[in-house]
Amino acid sequence: MKPRLGAAFLRLFTAQASWNYERLIGVGTGFAAEPLLRPLRADDEARYHAALGRATRYFNSHPYLTGVGVGALARAEWDGTPPEQIERLRGALAGPLGSIGDRLVWAGWVPTLSALTLAAVAWGVGLRAVAAFLLVYNAGHLALRWWGLSAGWSRGARVAGALQAPWIRRAGEILGPVTALALGFALPLVAVWSGEAFRGWARITLAVTAAVTFGLLRWRPDVLSGLRLGLVLVVVALIAGIVWR
Amino acid sequence: MLGVFAWGTVVGLDLVSLPQMMLARPLVAGAGAGLLLGDVAAGLRLGVLFELFQFDILPVGATRYPEYGPATVVAVAAAHAFAIPFGVGLATVVGLFTAMLGGLSLQVHRRINTRAATAAAPALDAGDRGALVRLHVGGLGRDLLRGAAVTAAGLALAMLTREFVVPALSHRGERLLSVAATGAALAAGAAGTLRIVGRGPGLRWLAAGLTGGILAAWLA
Repeated sequence: MKPRLGAAFLRLFTAQASWNYERLIGVGTGFAAEPLLRPLRADDEARYHAALGRATRYFNSHPYLTGVGVGALARAEWDGTPPEQIERLRGALAGPLGSIGDRLVWAGWVPTLSALTLAAVAWGVGLRAVAAFLLVYNAGHLALRWWGLSAGWSRGARVAGALQAPWIRRAGEILGPVTALALGFALPLVAVWSGEAFRGWARITLAVTAAVTFGLLRWRPDVLSGLRLGLVLVVVALIAGIVWR
Repeated sequence: MLGVFAWGTVVGLDLVSLPQMMLARPLVAGAGAGLLLGDVAAGLRLGVLFELFQFDILPVGATRYPEYGPATVVAVAAAHAFAIPFGVGLATVVGLFTAMLGGLSLQVHRRINTRAATAAAPALDAGDRGALVRLHVGGLGRDLLRGAAVTAAGLALAMLTREFVVPALSHRGERLLSVAATGAALAAGAAGTLRIVGRGPGLRWLAAGLTGGILAAWLA
């Protein structure tokens, strides 16, 4: 019986559905690994259950890189790696898979494409910019997920080598400056575009409001957030708007 | 409105559970809602506004954060329903409250998942496939219901606002509210940008980008 990489890949898209404070993404990892472990059942029922039990334990990872853990841990079970070594592998993968994913995706790929889309919308590109964002983002997203699962499955317990691949280091080096450049480029365009709806006193008030709010957010980032300050501002403006006739 | 409700639910599910393809990103959520309502302009305007708020958060690990996807869908529906010149401001009020509710609902969802995982721990450790599937699919189902509940609550708030607040708001008040909402979003976007870029060489690239952006805005 062949391992079902395709089924495991599809299940990876739900990896965080059962995210919880006890096992973090562990249950989702076990759910995605199950099709890969199922062939073990034909040879040895007890081995399958033991492997599946281990696959659902505590695990932490960026959701897009969970496939690395799923593939590597399942392959280690196939290869008959001792359970204590599998546990060490699980522990060793958790930190890097979280930090690499956060750096490359949440702090790199997402804000870069988001900023470019914001700039394009402000330039009047409209819905096509949003469609392009979805297409380009998900091309990278799907490729990363598939690479993770394939790398994990092909290398098993030696998967650490895949995480030291030159492209990962290079991507991190490139994405840092590109993200900063894209965000910087988008902000003035969006600010001008957003202000076009206002004239006279409203435009001046907009500039003052944005500057003061930005100052407050930078002053006390531990207490103030965009949501909290935004809510306070709009509620105050709402009351003023009802009273000011 | 049923289409908007369904879209808000899908967007809510996309954020964490399935398929995490950035449908929950405000730009996408807003554009989708705008398309459904035949009001693409409102969809894009509110999508941009909430995307700036989104810059303020990094969804890393177990951090707590507001949920701006369904909030944007609700805000676009609200702006469309209000049908006033500066409806964006009042729609943002509705959207921000929905975002806060969405964030709280995510915490509740995680706690319920934790309770379910604790209860199923012996079966999970024994490698019980049925227990694993029930636990995981249960989490997926609960998140679907969560997204639907947040969207429904937001739409209900939008309807109440149209009924009771829109008639009480002056034209100047509408404009003031839009100014406050836009100013807060720009500030959140700028503060979030600095947090993403951090200190060090990134700041030089940010400055270069700002220069290019100012030039592009001036030329446009």
